[in-house]
Amino acid sequence: MAELAITARGLTKQYGAVTALDGIDLAVSSGTVYALLGPNGAGKTTTINILTTLTRPTTGEATVCGHDVLRQADQVRACIGVTFQDIVLDPDLTGREVLDIHGRLYRQPGALRRRRLAELVELVQLGDAIDRRVRTYSGGMKRRLELARGLMTEPRVLFLDEPTQGLDPQNRVGIWGYIRELNRVRGLTLLLTTHYMDEAEALASQVGIVDRGRLVAEGTPGELVATLGADVIRVRGQGEQAHFVAEVARLPFVVRVETDAADAMVLVYVDSGSRRLVEVVGAASGNGFLVEDVTLARPSLGDVFLHHTGRALRD
Amino acid sequence: MYATFVIWNKHMTKFLRSTEELLGLALQSVLWVVLFGVGMRGMIAEVDGRDYMSYILPGIIALSALGGAVGGGMVLLDERLRGILKEYLAAPIPRLSILLGSATSTATKALIQATIMLVVGILMGARLAPNPLGWLASLLLIAIFAVGFSGLALAVAAVSRSIAGYHGMIFLFNLPLLFASNALYPLAVLPGWMLAIVLLNPTTYLIDAVRALAFGTEVTLPLPLSVAVVCLFAAGCTWLALRLFRRSISA
Repeated sequence: MAELAITARGLTKQYGAVTALDGIDLAVSSGTVYALLGPNGAGKTTTINILTTLTRPTTGEATVCGHDVLRQADQVRACIGVTFQDIVLDPDLTGREVLDIHGRLYRQPGALRRRRLAELVELVQLGDAIDRRVRTYSGGMKRRLELARGLMTEPRVLFLDEPTQGLDPQNRVGIWGYIRELNRVRGLTLLLTTHYMDEAEALASQVGIVDRGRLVAEGTPGELVATLGADVIRVRGQGEQAHFVAEVARLPFVVRVETDAADAMVLVYVDSGSRRLVEVVGAASGNGFLVEDVTLARPSLGDVFLHHTGRALRD
Repeated sequence: MYATFVIWNKHMTKFLRSTEELLGLALQSVLWVVLFGVGMRGMIAEVDGRDYMSYILPGIIALSALGGAVGGGMVLLDERLRGILKEYLAAPIPRLSILLGSATSTATKALIQATIMLVVGILMGARLAPNPLGWLASLLLIAIFAVGFSGLALAVAAVSRSIAGYHGMIFLFNLPLLFASNALYPLAVLPGWMLAIVLLNPTTYLIDAVRALAFGTEVTLPLPLSVAVVCLFAAGCTWLALRLFRRSISA
């Protein structure tokens, strides 16, 4: 087992009567990309805030790079980079000043700052824009500048809170590319939060599904999906769902049946979708359930989320 | 505390870049001297044996120091509301250096303001006392007072939820500071109830001391008392800023 870059045991956080975290355990190996996947308000940002020493947990403990986040906060701070959920940049400074001031806060010598700056401008492709004021940047450029700032001090662990929120598809794929490169080429450990399933699927070697302050499932995207069955037949329809669900559940090849009330959708997990499709749809006939739409797919992380929380994860 | 210097330096860079803020602050103070001072001078030849311009200049200097401090507090507030504070908080720097960076930049702005005012006032005919040691002592007192204002502005900035809320709270300090003090009129002409309020205003003590030290007016309050009040004011406000700032980052 590789060395652990991040550990957490029993993290809880109370804000008055509100429970933001309800006991989170984490073990993230060095060199992995770990994605915390969950809806807004699930506790992802609170987890990042505790791991980056911004917030104290109500109970529980955590380490980053082997240092305790409470007792050795400065050692933790020195070995991590962070980008926050909101864009956190001074509009009146140039990109170069933002990076330079960041390096100075960490007491990087001038020669090192100039070298890092040149490397990072190259990596995130900011080019000549680096000498323009941040207020002239597009959303994608701001995100890229923030990523560069997080990397300025050559952290061992990088935390990214919703790194592509609000970006157009082209910029999202661009950020994904940088994240993959940082992990593969430089062996950087990344912990990112996201409420986009495709983002977790595209980037993460480990996914933790968070809901209402708890980690409800954890594993590689492949493992998480495999527990649900080989294929999923999604049946959307009108009328009496219960009979249909009971009928389908009785079929021998059905691994599991789930419903998503909000979408009037029934999800039937089977061993082999294309061979069982006809029988599944046939089960609907004559019991008051009118099938409107049927799709056949490999289960996704979205289905995993629905399975563990009883609710669909919406973007 | 290298981080304090980095943050101070960053704030000053932003300050020198925001031309509107610079112009606005400078003009506001200059207008006071030029319009109010010159206008009143036509009516009031002298107060306590001094020309009126020399008489009101210390008060206007105090007012412009407040203006500078308000601008400095805005920077902390802006960084708090934008979340830029989180960049500092995630960095391996002492928490105190974050507040000190803001406090030093705020006090610097307040002092720059005060100095501009002094120069404009002298150009407009205020006459300094002959002893340069008195000028230096006055500047030092104004600097201490500026630290106090900065503390006040930062304390308000640490708890305000919006820019409008901040300005609203600061405005509460702004007017009484000038009118409920001896900035524009001598203590001797005030009725008893107003005198009581004026004597609670630390600005009164600063103005009395600066008048005596820099402009050669007779003191109306004991000088050691004035110095003590100014120092206490600065210490109290700094303490308040520290407390409210600690509370705001631990939330």
